[in-house]
Amino acid sequence: MLELNHLNKKFGDNIAVKNMNMVLEPGKVMGLIGQNGAGKTTTFRMILNFIKPTSGEITWDGHPITQADKQKIGFLPEERGLYQKLTIEEQILYFAELHGMPRAEAKVALTDWLQRLNVVGKATDKVQTLSKGNAQKVQMIASLIFTPKLLILDEPFSGLDPVNTSIMMDEIVRMKDNGAMIIFSSHDMNNVTKISDNLTMLKKGQVVLQGGVQEIREQFGRTKVYIEGPFTQDELTNFPGVITVTQQGAGFDITLSDEATGHQLFDYVTRNGYIPAFSQQPPTLDDIFRQEVALS
Amino acid sequence: MSNQLRIVIKQTFRNHFKSRGYWLLVLSPLLFAAIIGGITYGITKMQGNTTPTIAVIAPSEVRQVFTQSEKSLNINVSKTTDNKTANQSLTNEKLDGVLVVDNDKATLTTHPKSNAINKEAINHILGDLSRQQKATTYGLTSAQTAELIKPYDLKTVVKQSDNKSTNAENSDMANYGVAVSIGIITTVIVMWYTSMIATEIANEKSSRIMETLLAATSARVQYFGKIIGIFGLATTHMLIYIISGLLAYLGFKDNAIVENLSSSFSGVTIGFALFATLYILIAVALYLVLTSLIASLINDNAQVQQAIQPITFLAMVGYMFSFVMTNMPNNIAIKILSYVPFISQSMMPVRLVTKVETWPAAIISLVISFIAMILLAWFGQNIYAKNVLSYSDDKIMSQLFKNLKKQKN
Repeated sequence: MLELNHLNKKFGDNIAVKNMNMVLEPGKVMGLIGQNGAGKTTTFRMILNFIKPTSGEITWDGHPITQADKQKIGFLPEERGLYQKLTIEEQILYFAELHGMPRAEAKVALTDWLQRLNVVGKATDKVQTLSKGNAQKVQMIASLIFTPKLLILDEPFSGLDPVNTSIMMDEIVRMKDNGAMIIFSSHDMNNVTKISDNLTMLKKGQVVLQGGVQEIREQFGRTKVYIEGPFTQDELTNFPGVITVTQQGAGFDITLSDEATGHQLFDYVTRNGYIPAFSQQPPTLDDIFRQEVALS
Repeated sequence: MSNQLRIVIKQTFRNHFKSRGYWLLVLSPLLFAAIIGGITYGITKMQGNTTPTIAVIAPSEVRQVFTQSEKSLNINVSKTTDNKTANQSLTNEKLDGVLVVDNDKATLTTHPKSNAINKEAINHILGDLSRQQKATTYGLTSAQTAELIKPYDLKTVVKQSDNKSTNAENSDMANYGVAVSIGIITTVIVMWYTSMIATEIANEKSSRIMETLLAATSARVQYFGKIIGIFGLATTHMLIYIISGLLAYLGFKDNAIVENLSSSFSGVTIGFALFATLYILIAVALYLVLTSLIASLINDNAQVQQAIQPITFLAMVGYMFSFVMTNMPNNIAIKILSYVPFISQSMMPVRLVTKVETWPAAIISLVISFIAMILLAWFGQNIYAKNVLSYSDDKIMSQLFKNLKKQKN
């Protein structure tokens, strides 16, 4: 279990991370979201011991992270980099060895990974000859081949095409199922919602929201309604308790002042019987992010 | 040694050792030497017999002296004794020269394509003959004549501190040769390998591979791993040259040029050769450490030259002083610089071989360099760790001084 207790980091007078607490358990995925400069990368850098916290502590199973623990950490940096002049094999085997995986074992595993991720080319191809997509897959393999116990992914989906995004998500889920602790940052709320068990939302270095994804959404009440039926926008806008109405395809997205208004709205729109759609949901992570971080 | 350190050393060594660039670096000087040697050999062979043939038109006793001195004068004396025939042969370029001796006068006629003739030696013999002739006229005995024409015996000897004396001419040649060789070898090797380590670190830093590496290892492991790996390459490089040199010597030891070279370097002992090699290696390590910590301040590959320029300049300082020193070995500034790390490697071995310094002084200088290398390596790891993942817009040197200031505080 990874624990961050009262973690603070200052750069001169600037507070990068303020009193952060976090618990990450094996087999769980933590999504870290926040605007640029919110403190996500700084948090990762402290966990990796690239920089020291100003105060607070980071522990792994109750003790500070040792060099032996670090070998079990897989890290995918935001800005990717590979040795262009080395072959895929030379590169991956080097990283695997540094993480304590025997070379021979890594060589066997590499064949499997290249096949599974559908990397076009041979293990003996130089990285500089690979397409961007294949180079991204190689970087992914470098971070995952030794089956890390803790996986830190800084913007893992940035720059990936939809196919590679999907491959990356599958691998994250596979690692999670193998019992790895995974923490990742992303601006894509859709992906965060899909694979995170928990999330931490940061704003200017401070945690503004933390908990299970569904639990956080529910905290905001089911104030989002999508309806389809024979209604006009004016009619819905004038309904008491309705804040906004936006045309969305064949229907309308409605924001309510409170969850209870949904019952009254339902009764009103179904007064003549059947309507094709009525869905009352908590706000999406994207909505919450905009509300809590971006717009406030 | 930790397993990770061993992996980094191996990887650094292997990557470069397998690269074309490394072998180009190692083989190009050997190839260059082989080409120069081959061309010189070819030219000599193509020239064929270069011993000049001279017709000596003179009284028979004078001709006899020249015939007897053919070897020492490096000439062939033609059988032609007739001036007209000789000049005809000279015009037809069948002779390289015609020497006409007439009493106190002598004329040596050559043509533009003549092989080189040692005129000084001919003049010397003619002088002796003239003096002999005059002595006979004055009625001197042959012993008196011999005494009269005997040249003044001036020997040049260098008195060494160990009470041994050496031939000054040979010693001067060897000293100059050693000074030039050590200066060039050290400077060139330092420049090659500082550039190599700076590029390696800059590449990993600018491409952000460093972050992936440091996620698994520590900055310390990367720092020492790279220095030791590149140092291994430099050592291998020197070993290749030493082995090639030995093989070339064994293969061509009967060659006149090699014989000449080895006699010039006869003052260089195995002990000294080992000392000089060790000194060069310590200097390379010292420069690698300095370059590593400066390279950790680089943001991208374009800054590599900016980073290694002052290092190259520092290496050149020692090289320059190694020449100045041969003319003023007892200058106090030169003496002090022979103990200053980063510079001493180009000076102390030369001072030792020229017997300006004793072995204890040379060993003290070597130990100072070694200690400086260890201290800088230890001290530098903090600077490396602090900067290898940070990117600053400041100039490299100003970053370095800021870091040194922080370290001091």
